[in-house]
Amino acid sequence: MTKTNEGPQGLRDGANQGRRRFLIATTSVVGVGIVGAVAVPLVESLEPTAAETAAASATFNLAPVEPGMQVTIPWQKKPVIIVNRTPEMLATLTEVEKKGVLKDPNCTVPQQPPYCKNMYRARKPEWLVMVRICTHLCCIPHYRPKKASVGPSWLGGFHCPCHGSMYDLSGRVIKGSPAPHNMAVPEYHFSPDGKSVTITKMYPKAHLC
Amino acid sequence: MRKTLPRAALGPLFALATAAHAAVMKPPVAPPSVPFTKATVIAGAQFFADHCSACHAVSNLRYKRMGADLGLTKAMIKKSFMKPGGANYLKGMRPAMTQAQAKKWLGLPPPNLSHMARALGPRFLYTYLTSFYWDPKRPSGWNNHVFPNVAMPYILAPWGGIYTKNGKLLVPGRESPAVFDRHVADVVAFLRYASDPSVFERRAIGRYVIGAFVLLSILAYLLKKDYWRDVHDKEADSHSQKSATIKPARKG
Amino acid sequence: MSKVIDWFNARFPAREMMREHMTEYYAPKNFNILYYTGSLLLLMIALQLLSGFFLMAHYVPTSQDAYNSVQGIMYDTKWGWLVRYMHVDGVSLIFILLYLHMGRGLLYGSYRNPRELLWVIGYLIYVLMMGEAFFGYILPFGNLSYWAGQVITSIIHAVPIIGPGLTTLARGGPGVGTATLERFLALHTVLWFLILAACIGLHILALHKVGSNNPDGIEIKDRKGADGTPLDGIPFHPYYTVKDIFGVGVFLTLFAAIIFYAPTMHGVFLERTTFFRANPMVSLPDVTPPWYLAPYYAMLRAVPNKYEGIVLMALAVVLPFFMPWLDRCKVRSSRYRPVYRFMILLMAVTFFTLAYVGEQPPLPKYFLIERLGAAIYIGFYLLLPIISRFEPTRPVPERVRS
Repeated sequence: MTKTNEGPQGLRDGANQGRRRFLIATTSVVGVGIVGAVAVPLVESLEPTAAETAAASATFNLAPVEPGMQVTIPWQKKPVIIVNRTPEMLATLTEVEKKGVLKDPNCTVPQQPPYCKNMYRARKPEWLVMVRICTHLCCIPHYRPKKASVGPSWLGGFHCPCHGSMYDLSGRVIKGSPAPHNMAVPEYHFSPDGKSVTITKMYPKAHLC
Repeated sequence: MRKTLPRAALGPLFALATAAHAAVMKPPVAPPSVPFTKATVIAGAQFFADHCSACHAVSNLRYKRMGADLGLTKAMIKKSFMKPGGANYLKGMRPAMTQAQAKKWLGLPPPNLSHMARALGPRFLYTYLTSFYWDPKRPSGWNNHVFPNVAMPYILAPWGGIYTKNGKLLVPGRESPAVFDRHVADVVAFLRYASDPSVFERRAIGRYVIGAFVLLSILAYLLKKDYWRDVHDKEADSHSQKSATIKPARKG
Repeated sequence: MSKVIDWFNARFPAREMMREHMTEYYAPKNFNILYYTGSLLLLMIALQLLSGFFLMAHYVPTSQDAYNSVQGIMYDTKWGWLVRYMHVDGVSLIFILLYLHMGRGLLYGSYRNPRELLWVIGYLIYVLMMGEAFFGYILPFGNLSYWAGQVITSIIHAVPIIGPGLTTLARGGPGVGTATLERFLALHTVLWFLILAACIGLHILALHKVGSNNPDGIEIKDRKGADGTPLDGIPFHPYYTVKDIFGVGVFLTLFAAIIFYAPTMHGVFLERTTFFRANPMVSLPDVTPPWYLAPYYAMLRAVPNKYEGIVLMALAVVLPFFMPWLDRCKVRSSRYRPVYRFMILLMAVTFFTLAYVGEQPPLPKYFLIERLGAAIYIGFYLLLPIISRFEPTRPVPERVRS
């Protein structure tokens, strides 16, 4: 593009000055356009490949997870916790709501797909499927289901070892925690017989940390 | 048994290398002139799904990509091509038979056909698929002119008919030779696409890319001619005066 | 704006460099079509660096996954085919350009005093490029890659004394495997490429010191006008920059046509045997190198003795380095040397015949052609000192013809 600083001295007469300027301009525009058109596919080649997409969705067998048990599995290089909650555990969710200590009890921040926008933050109340990452600074919170295991008034939930963020058994953040949001719930669905769950992808609006 | 063991150990490539070598000995027969278009590829894919995918994988070609390249919807792909159990729309074309079953039934697993058309050439594949003959000496009962002692049984026989080594028709097939040859050519077209899946994408945008470069060339040529008029003018001068030179064109 | 430019120029010699290498670098005005090759080579090598980066973003250098990762680029990566075909077809085009570029140097005597060093550096770039290409085509780890790796590393084995040690060093194990892929990738993308790029820089610097030759082989600096600039020279910029942009446009049209409509060039630019996975148990029906290395391979096969064959091949690679000192004629360009011109054309025909033969299966019917070709190729360099001293020449004009 250095040729544009050409002065009229190179020319023997100024008769074709306009024509030359026009040619320089159009050649430059077409040249820059071609460079841009080549750059787009090259950069797009860095996007996740079809192999990554195919590996993104994963199915897990729920049969071994008995009531009150949990399993944490790696999914898309992130820990995902699956909890089979007992009726007693589910009862703590209303109890915690009554105390009024939750930052976002009604899940108004889209940290979960719309079909999980309820107090259980789940498709089926007993099954919690959640990305086990603290929304504060990405640590993995401890799972503390027992009452009074963290503090005297603890009803059961998640406790982050890094900066002490606390969550209830639905992953809703408790006031006074540094974490801003409830933990994220990915998109998932159960098999027709309900014996397995398939996690398909991250809910796009959810904020991990 | 003793004879088949080293073959199994060497794997399918041994057989393919032999096949490529054999191709040098007998010149391949040209397939009937079937145009290589999305339509023939889809027809071939259908034939492949019905007859070949019981045993053969095309593991590099994902069903989703196939749909995108050939302009088919997910529902059409699921209905027509995703026949083997456990087929995943996001994954490669898989065979109905498992590796273990293949080992048990055939001695060696049928090869993945993803790159076959590029590795052996479409002409060879066509000749191979039309060169089977009845050979009672072989355990499978089948032999091939361009691939001697082939392991694959001729599963297309009910459609193409059974021939002897000398080309005598023993049992006519369900399809007339012309229709059958056309079907084989379709399958070869599908395998050609499977080994080079960007072919339709390339054809679709190639002309615009070339057009852009032609435009650049034309503009650059006009620009070059414009600048070089100076040189040619000076040349005319220097012939009359013998002293003029071209000064560097510089700013200021 | 001009203040910014002044600030910059006070701290960086941009203006001086622009003058020295562009606006006040005088090039002969009678360049022909062969003079496009230099700028096109520069462009193509830049494009190889670009496409190579995007390939490397997906490549896995292990014997287990290399083949799959390359097929993943072709099947699963958006625009992966474009990136890979750019890189693969780019190699063949670079070698076509290199042969034209070197052929031009031979035709017009561009290796002669004072351009000996320019020729030596340039030929070194060609030799390095053969190595770069070799490392590159091992990486996809198809069966051709595997066997090419085996054959070439066993050629190193024949080097006296240090040969066996060198072979182990190149392979990094008893055979070609993961260790080989890792070190070849490191060489291909880092060390070897940087040396190559540095040599290209030296080549251009050396050229701008001695000035470009031209089809007439006349030194334009010998005829200067009143203002001290060559009478037959024109500033590189703008005259040759606009001309080269035109050349780039035409060349990229050709490049695009190949990538989009014949990316494997019927198995010449991307061989069929690269579509089999590497298999140490199965040798290919015939192991042949890519077309651009085939002439040397044909010469290797011409001699029915391992060591003599390798010596002959090494001689064929090394002899052109001495071209500036082998040619004793007073006249530079073949335009005024009919005998030399015939010899060069014979060499070109021989070289490409050998390339064709080198691609064929190793059958006895080609032995005669291989031997004759090797004899002509070596004979050219050995006889040149004698012939060039006595060959007839035509009168050379004082000024370039346009």
